Amino acid sequence: MGIRALYTAASGMNAQQMNIDNIANNLANSTTNGFKMRRAQFQDLLYQTHIQPGAAAGAQTIVPSGLQIGLGTRPASNEIIFAQGSLTETDNPLDLAIQGNGFFQVLQPNGQLAYSRDGGFQLDKNGNIVDSSGNLIQPQITIPSQAQSITIAADGTVTYTQPGQTASQVAGQIQLALFPNPAGMNSIGGNLFEPTDASGNPTVANPGGQEGLGTLMQGYVEGSNVSVVEEFINMIVSQRAYEANSKVVKAADEMYQQINNVTQ
Amino acid sequence: MDALTAAAASGIQARMQSLDILANNLANASSAGFKADAESYGLYYSSESPDAPSDGVTTTLPLLKTQWTDFSQGTLLPTSNSTDLALNGKGFFVVTTPSGPLYTRNGSFRLSGQGRLQTQDGYALQDSEGRPIVLDVSQTFEVAVDGSVQQGGQQVSQIAVVDFEDPTVLAKRGGNYFRSTISKAPTAAAQLDIRQGKLESGNSESSQSAARLTSILRQFESLQKAMTIGADMNRRVVEDVAKVS
Repeated sequence: MGIRALYTAASGMNAQQMNIDNIANNLANSTTNGFKMRRAQFQDLLYQTHIQPGAAAGAQTIVPSGLQIGLGTRPASNEIIFAQGSLTETDNPLDLAIQGNGFFQVLQPNGQLAYSRDGGFQLDKNGNIVDSSGNLIQPQITIPSQAQSITIAADGTVTYTQPGQTASQVAGQIQLALFPNPAGMNSIGGNLFEPTDASGNPTVANPGGQEGLGTLMQGYVEGSNVSVVEEFINMIVSQRAYEANSKVVKAADEMYQQINNVTQ
Repeated sequence: MDALTAAAASGIQARMQSLDILANNLANASSAGFKADAESYGLYYSSESPDAPSDGVTTTLPLLKTQWTDFSQGTLLPTSNSTDLALNGKGFFVVTTPSGPLYTRNGSFRLSGQGRLQTQDGYALQDSEGRPIVLDVSQTFEVAVDGSVQQGGQQVSQIAVVDFEDPTVLAKRGGNYFRSTISKAPTAAAQLDIRQGKLESGNSESSQSAARLTSILRQFESLQKAMTIGADMNRRVVEDVAKVS
């Protein structure tokens, strides 16, 4: 016995440390386009059962409730919260925001598809639409260099006009991917996510269709969905919880000191 | 050991267990759906005490006798996440595990790759028939206050919420789950109040915990004093009383 309280309190301090790490990352990305906040979740650890509830206490009686002593807490997960971020107008024709569910698909240099909500797109030297890291949007869309106004409709159709022509030309249609459980995706940095077994396989379709995908808004970007006020409140709560756990460590230490003094 | 030292020693041991329980409550302040524990002590009767049971019960020592779980409501915090469900009032969610059903008030659910509503550990949330709840992932879903799950205006499932006549039959299993220690199945909760987009926070009150921490420490100190006095008396008996001058 004895030392338990120290380790229990230490597990609480560890958990709050992880909570603060998570809050720090949310706050650091509060102005990152397409960033989705994470929320840390905790669970209680195992319980040491000293007396089993419902055990026989005598011939006719049973223990109404047992004696179980918990051994602390552990971080269970920090899930991604996919609430919509605020939309900011930019007037840049290649800035796109998804209003509703879904992800843009981009092709990484390693040939793997990655998914993103960051709609700050640009053109590369060949006229391909790429994200800010230069990854090609999928399906690939190329705009000729002499094209003038580029229009992207709510359903993802990309059109442009050529000089001296009034009729617009269709360059392609942007498609979005929908995941059964987006919270199970892997963040790989650069505002990109990769699918996992937990997220399920994506349904790829046109924006605004029956599949439940959101629509596109040209000239807007989706900001981060971090609420700075909420994160500050979480930070205060977490800091106080850390303090409370450290008080327990101190109390346990004092008690052991006194026990050591008993024999003097 | 003489009676005074023995009683003080068992009191000290009990206070250390109290601290263990308090430490666990504080460590789990951020665990959703966590229910705090409290302890009760066995009473100390000396055989001469007028309150002592008359049936010849021998002296008992004040050991930690039992711990009980405070099932009072935790605060509901908004999360704006549609798979977060909070129970307002009595009852537990039922989840299916390989070792049978477990009960929890942690409503932080998520959808699996197949659209099944499940806990962080992958245990399926049960509907009122005991089946898993599988949703069409292309649509949003709403959970009404009465626990019915709706998609596109149609009811697709009904979340099971059960209640125990006597919640003391529940033992903590870790991971914010409870297991039942009796074979009798729980009944469906009488009044349902499920809130979507909210999570129930742990119910360990920090101000109360701080007061308990102080009280445990001071009681411990008094007992330690008593033990020192007992030891001192024993020493005097040996050294002073028995001295032939």
